[in-house]
Amino acid sequence: MLDCRVQKRRRAYEVAVDIVAGGERVALFGPSGSGKSTVLACLAGLETPDAGHIRCDGLRWFPPPLALHRRSVGYLSQREALFPHLPVSENVQFSLDAAARVRERAWIAEMRGRLDLDGLWHTRPHHLSGGQARRVALARTLCRRPRLVLLDEPFAGLDRPLARDLVRILKDWQERLGFLLLAVDHDPSVLEGLCPRVVAMENGRVVQQGSWAELRRRPATPTLRALLDLDP
Amino acid sequence: MLKNLPRTLALSGTALFLLYPLWGLAAPIGHWRWGAAGVSSALATSFALTGVALAIVVAVGTPLAFSLRGAPPAARLSFEAVVLLSVLMPPLALGLLLALAFGPATALGDLLLHLGIPTSNDPVAFVVTQVYASLGYYLLGAQAAFEAVPRELEQSAALLGLAPREVLWRITLPLARLGLAAALSLAWVRALGEFGAIMVTAYYPHGIPVQLWVDLQDQGLPAVLPLLLVFLLTALPLPWALRILVRVRGHA
Repeated sequence: MLDCRVQKRRRAYEVAVDIVAGGERVALFGPSGSGKSTVLACLAGLETPDAGHIRCDGLRWFPPPLALHRRSVGYLSQREALFPHLPVSENVQFSLDAAARVRERAWIAEMRGRLDLDGLWHTRPHHLSGGQARRVALARTLCRRPRLVLLDEPFAGLDRPLARDLVRILKDWQERLGFLLLAVDHDPSVLEGLCPRVVAMENGRVVQQGSWAELRRRPATPTLRALLDLDP
Repeated sequence: MLKNLPRTLALSGTALFLLYPLWGLAAPIGHWRWGAAGVSSALATSFALTGVALAIVVAVGTPLAFSLRGAPPAARLSFEAVVLLSVLMPPLALGLLLALAFGPATALGDLLLHLGIPTSNDPVAFVVTQVYASLGYYLLGAQAAFEAVPRELEQSAALLGLAPREVLWRITLPLARLGLAAALSLAWVRALGEFGAIMVTAYYPHGIPVQLWVDLQDQGLPAVLPLLLVFLLTALPLPWALRILVRVRGHA
């Protein structure tokens, strides 16, 4: 269970959001610059909120800020940040020690199969295409089964079929493993397929939340209406 | 093909110009005199003491260069200015200043004398001078090597559950290793080849550069060339290969 209230001043506006969510899939949706990525960065520990609190599964992450490595977080952005000196196999299993690699053998094998990594297993990251690198990064993110998975525009730059595949895989694994998934994107088409619940943001504030159907039926602002491609 | 001719000629000409001094080894100066006195002791002195000096340089310089990444910009700039000063110092001036600063005329030099720590013409003075001559080169290179490691990779590793020390061992050092090796090679060449400063602070025991000078003065070129050849063969290949490797890997 995530319980967060994040306040973070930006040059042009202040981000101030409350989110309470359990083991579900939640989309943070809004125009560029609405503060979605700032919320994810605060949750991951990449940025420190100015005020508020973050608790996850009974553990206090803020305040004071808990070190990044002590948070059970998986964070995936459009920049895969794969480790260039390690082959795909080591990138994926990076977070696991020797005992955990044995314990998680079945899980690793499943990820290799579903993300089509078998042929890439001994390849270095600089030989991977963009889509392959994103699949490797997803496997690395989920390998240690984090309780909170943060996806910051994870499908940007991917072709539609691959994005659809990844959405299907993510949905399956989230339902089975029960982690909380927060995904950010400004394009509703992929998000809608992944996350049943949506939190809409504008200028650093939550302006509406609920299901996609509710959002489409009665968007709270003209900007949301435009983003959803609805008639005025 | 013809379009590249001027560049090819310029590169080849410059390369020949830079390599030409090596032709001096083939100059007709008579038979080389192998086995001159003092050669093996100069080799042993230079390599052993340079090894000690570089161990100190690496042990001090590596953590210092790493910690500079997190330092406030003003502090970093001030420190870099001091390091640059040591790098740009003419060797003979460095030797004279070291001799004066650690000599009996200063409080520190006086104290060291009282403690029985020799400050000139001794292996300790030799090593200290080499450290002064090479530390700045290593620091600048090591700092650049650490700066070149993308922060987002370290953050990714931390987000995957690695404590800062593990991030250092598994991400930062492996990615910086070639840059560190290049920095070490520069420091090695600088320390081993130091002549001007060592002449003033540690004429004894003779290292290779001083021995070459002494032999040149006393016995002439035929006695110098064997030691010069050994010097080149032992001092240059490792740092040369390391720097080539850095270039190749950097573009892989």
